[in-house]
Amino acid sequence: MEQTKYLVVGSSHAALEAVTAIRMHDTEGSLMLLTRDPHLPYSPTVLPYVVSGRSAPDAIFLRDEKFFARQKVQLKRGTALKALHVERNAAELADGSEIAYEKVLLATGASPAIPPIPGIDTVSYHVLRTLDDATKLNAAIKQSKQAVVLGAGLVGMHAAENLVKAGARVTIVEMAKQLTDGYFDTTAAGLIEKAFTDNGATILTGSRVVKLEPSAVGAKLTLENGTALEADLLLVATGVRPNMDFLAGSRVEQDKGILVGDSMQTSVANVWSAGDCAQARGFFTDAKVMNAILPDAAEQGRIAGMAMAGDPGLKAYPGGVPLNTYHFFGRHAISVGSSRVPEGGEVVTRFDEASGRYLKAIFKDGCLLGIYGVNEFFDGGVMCQLILRRVDLSAVKERFLANPLATGRELMSKLWR
Amino acid sequence: MGAYNTIAFDAEKCDGCGDCMTACATAKTGTTEISRSRIQIAGNAAEGFELALCRQCGDPKCVTVCPAGALGKDYASGVIDWDGGKCVDCLLCTVGCAYAGIALDAGTGHVAKCDMCDGAPACVPACPHGALKLVTTSRIYNEVGNWEDLFAPGLAGCQGCNTELLMRHTLRRVGPETVLATPPGCVPGMGSVGFNGTTGTKVPVFHPLLTNTAAMLAGIKRQYKRVGREVNALAIAGDGGASDVGFQSLSGAAERNEQILFMVVDNEGYMNTGMQRSSCTPYGAWTSTTPVGQGSGGMPSQGKTQDAKNLPLIMVNHRCEYVATASTAYMEDLYDKLDKAIQASKRGFAYLHVYSPCTTGWRFPTDQNMEVARKAVETNFVMLWEYNPRDGLQFTRPVDQPLPVTEYLKAMGRFRHLSPDQISHIQGKVVENLAFVKQMAQRQSA
Amino acid sequence: MTTAILETPNPTKPAKQKVVLCEGNEAAALGVALARPDMVAVYPITPQSSLVEHVAKLIADGRMDADIVDAEGEHSVLSVLQGGALAGARTYTATCGPGLAFMFEPYFRTSGMRLPIVMSIVTRDGITPQSVWGGHQDAMTVREVGWVQVYCETVQEVLDTTIMAFKIAEHHDVMLPVNVCLDGNYLSYGTSRVELPDQAEVDAFMGVKDVNWHVALDPLRPMAVDPLTGGSGGKGPSTFVRYRKGQCRGMQNSLRVIEEIHEEWAQRFGRRFAPLVEEYRLDGADYAIMTLGSMTGAAKDAVDEARDAGKKVGLIKIKTFSPFPVEALLKSLDKVQALGVVDRSVGFRWNCGPMYQETMGVLYRLGRHIPSMSFIGGLAGADITVGHFHRVIDATEGLLTNPAPIEPVWLNEKD
Repeated sequence: MEQTKYLVVGSSHAALEAVTAIRMHDTEGSLMLLTRDPHLPYSPTVLPYVVSGRSAPDAIFLRDEKFFARQKVQLKRGTALKALHVERNAAELADGSEIAYEKVLLATGASPAIPPIPGIDTVSYHVLRTLDDATKLNAAIKQSKQAVVLGAGLVGMHAAENLVKAGARVTIVEMAKQLTDGYFDTTAAGLIEKAFTDNGATILTGSRVVKLEPSAVGAKLTLENGTALEADLLLVATGVRPNMDFLAGSRVEQDKGILVGDSMQTSVANVWSAGDCAQARGFFTDAKVMNAILPDAAEQGRIAGMAMAGDPGLKAYPGGVPLNTYHFFGRHAISVGSSRVPEGGEVVTRFDEASGRYLKAIFKDGCLLGIYGVNEFFDGGVMCQLILRRVDLSAVKERFLANPLATGRELMSKLWR
Repeated sequence: MGAYNTIAFDAEKCDGCGDCMTACATAKTGTTEISRSRIQIAGNAAEGFELALCRQCGDPKCVTVCPAGALGKDYASGVIDWDGGKCVDCLLCTVGCAYAGIALDAGTGHVAKCDMCDGAPACVPACPHGALKLVTTSRIYNEVGNWEDLFAPGLAGCQGCNTELLMRHTLRRVGPETVLATPPGCVPGMGSVGFNGTTGTKVPVFHPLLTNTAAMLAGIKRQYKRVGREVNALAIAGDGGASDVGFQSLSGAAERNEQILFMVVDNEGYMNTGMQRSSCTPYGAWTSTTPVGQGSGGMPSQGKTQDAKNLPLIMVNHRCEYVATASTAYMEDLYDKLDKAIQASKRGFAYLHVYSPCTTGWRFPTDQNMEVARKAVETNFVMLWEYNPRDGLQFTRPVDQPLPVTEYLKAMGRFRHLSPDQISHIQGKVVENLAFVKQMAQRQSA
Repeated sequence: MTTAILETPNPTKPAKQKVVLCEGNEAAALGVALARPDMVAVYPITPQSSLVEHVAKLIADGRMDADIVDAEGEHSVLSVLQGGALAGARTYTATCGPGLAFMFEPYFRTSGMRLPIVMSIVTRDGITPQSVWGGHQDAMTVREVGWVQVYCETVQEVLDTTIMAFKIAEHHDVMLPVNVCLDGNYLSYGTSRVELPDQAEVDAFMGVKDVNWHVALDPLRPMAVDPLTGGSGGKGPSTFVRYRKGQCRGMQNSLRVIEEIHEEWAQRFGRRFAPLVEEYRLDGADYAIMTLGSMTGAAKDAVDEARDAGKKVGLIKIKTFSPFPVEALLKSLDKVQALGVVDRSVGFRWNCGPMYQETMGVLYRLGRHIPSMSFIGGLAGADITVGHFHRVIDATEGLLTNPAPIEPVWLNEKD
């Protein structure tokens, strides 16, 4: 049986940061990285740009073979984890072989969640999670005349924009009452929606598909209200679910994801988890939440790596802060922090219809909880620090709201000096 | 990974004029739109100006959160490079950076960040107030980093003491083919010669007597020369041993032009034994043997009543192969002199006098060592110069517009009791000493 | 200054010796040259000056291949040599009186570092009263510092002992510095016929030079020399004791080594000197006088005359004063019933001569009481004549019948 001191499963941001963190402290311990993907590491976040053709599929890799050789990491691509036997510290692979580990990190990410729509298995549809998905979708978009995107999250919206730009008639179907629910508020979503409709897309929010069936074009969708849509390209982008089937029957505690503590340790010794498959404490709540965003995956991966290597510099995970950026039709939207307004909280908004600039900030006791902007650029990293450090902004609130960019920079520069 | 050149910002000097931003925008965008500058000054005159600029982090978060592999640290230059061909304009990097070092350039729709202008940042010379400085000491540190640290880890200096830095860097530079003498004082107090059978260095090291450092080293050097071996003889001594009780052997060895590199770490007193006065202690300074008290007969005791002996100038009058003063606040200058001193010590006596503030004995906060060392130079309390018999004496960092000496004096507790008369005495001596050294410089360059 | 060669080589043994006429200081310099030191450091002082002048000239003339350091004082003289010795050099210097006092700081330390430095003390009385003349006060004052100290009687013994001193000092069982004491004025300037050993013979006697096999300042085998020890905790106390005990063991070992080397010298060069204690006409003596250094010549004459006159007197001469040759001296003292000890210096604390004081300690170990008395003479260049020694002999003889005086006898008090 193969043996390794550190076994890292997954190859995206969480896994890669963990590898770096382990090697910062332990330059020699044997380290193996497994990924079910046949490619070198890449970020799922870049895939919409592969779909649009902006990113060449061979230019998106985050690390090359040389990196792994230099870091003394044994990289096994196209190798999926089938089951984790925590009672004997062994990982069983798809081919039935096993790897004995001393410490394992599960950074297996997520897969598209396929909604249980009747007939969905009778039609062909696209998803977008892997590079292979992206290259297939990229080819399909060029042929598409009428496309339907199920789900108005960031993945779906990105793809829809690409389809619009490629000349297809595009309909977006979303169950929630607004676009980008959970990322942006109604006003911001309205701005996004307007940009799409201005460019010819059809947005059907609050709509649910009740039936799918093959048609001459490709697929026929029937909505709850009876509307029928035809699609030559159907993209299912209704969310993701963590990859954790390999834990079936194991003692590792799971909820919506793999439950982890403040150093990303699971309920079982020698097992850590980070990234989109992990469910960790949120910054704004003690409850464990899914915060499947890239910066958090990187942070969790780093913490997990430090913990696994026994790095004494480890500091506890402060809790996940939602952070999202989104570009649409030449505009941008940034969201940092909580969208929920707590009791006693204060919401300040500013909207200039002419320029389309929108700002919304949520405060509690003088501290920033969340800030959202459309076409209003501010430094998300600085805002995140103001939130994490609970900096009291009472004295500068007016200035801050008038110019979050300059005021944020001023505050952070003072804090750092 | 090594150290890199970096742009340093002195907020106290910045008046928010924005010239740096104009220079950057001009260099990078061809416009004068300061919003597009990659260096951003924020703040206001009332509360001071602040800086947003890429720190070229060693562990850059912008790189770790980039999904497209468009950002990467160039370990040769230290610069975090942005690859426009790979960037997808997702702005995640701006969310990753806590310093606002990478931001959206509205003019291009892409993010933009400081690229150090290939090593010659346009912003730095544009600052009319000296608030921006390109710190280029990285070359030295990288070079030094490649040499073996010949001291053991864990030398036990006082918190905030810069002597350990000086010792380690000096010995690294002089190298392993060295016999090191560390006479009684702070240096062996930190453990250079070790305790009870341990050693503090990887080179042969010994305690000479406080009195005979130069003589013992001379004997060592001469014997190696006799048997044809190239061995450096290095002393790292304190000012007390060198200027007082060890002065005779120092002077004798200098007169005989022994091939020694003699470094004095001048902390202006016997600090290791509890901060007593030496002949290098300046006028007015409190020490434990020049204490401050009521005195008798209406004559209060107000610290040392004599001026310091100027040991490096005395060494110049031995016509040594090389004599220089240095300060740990000016490492480039120090390294330059160290190199020259090493070369000179192969021909004859080389003397390096390093002014080294003592946090414990001078009574200043432990994080202020470099600042105190710098103030000493900026006020001309300490002058940085070098001498060799061919070129005479020359200033290496002349201070043409010195700060008032009070800027230096007020930085530490040992001068807290000074009367106005004492302060004007000290200021007068600064002027007098400067004139004296200037005269020597002119005479010898003539 | 060129040495005059008086005779052709001695036809018997050894084959190649020259005979020269020279003063004691020159004899010491010639001995130093034959021992081939790497480094000498010098600073002039009366009555040592001509010694270092001879050394300087030997080097200047190419008759001696050593690095000469004209240091700015005795303190640095010894310090330079310590450095040299730590780098592997065989080292030599000479001093006396105030110069020895000035070098006391490194002097004390030389023994602790176990450096086999050889230093002539051209003995001089201590100041003040101001004086530039001979006397043992300088060497006696530093007798408790861990140097081996041997006193010479003749110019020939100065030369021979100077060479032997290097071998004694560098012996692996000793590794201690050695003072060769020659009396200021009487030996330093006393000119006599001296047999000069052949260089090759001396080289064979000295063997391979191995000065810093134990302690070194050498980048090829880096070590910390003399780290801080002592204190009241950890390895401190035991480390310090180990070093000190080692010094004491080296001192005791030197008694055996001095004997061995004197014996080897006698075998090779045909001149035999008593290494520790010399007995002169002691067999059959009822009482003895004890001497040190050049005074012994006059003392022996006085003993001869007294014997001729029927007095049962013998003489005990100390050559090795530090370490004090307790066992050897006990054997000699066991032969007599009374003892008079002549010192050329003063022991202020006991109101007697220092050698007398040391001998008292030995007498205690004899197991029976011997009446004894202290004589102090030859201070500050004064001569101790045969006449003075007759007074010593008579007074010592008196001890057999009369009670011993408490006060010392100051021999030159009424000269």
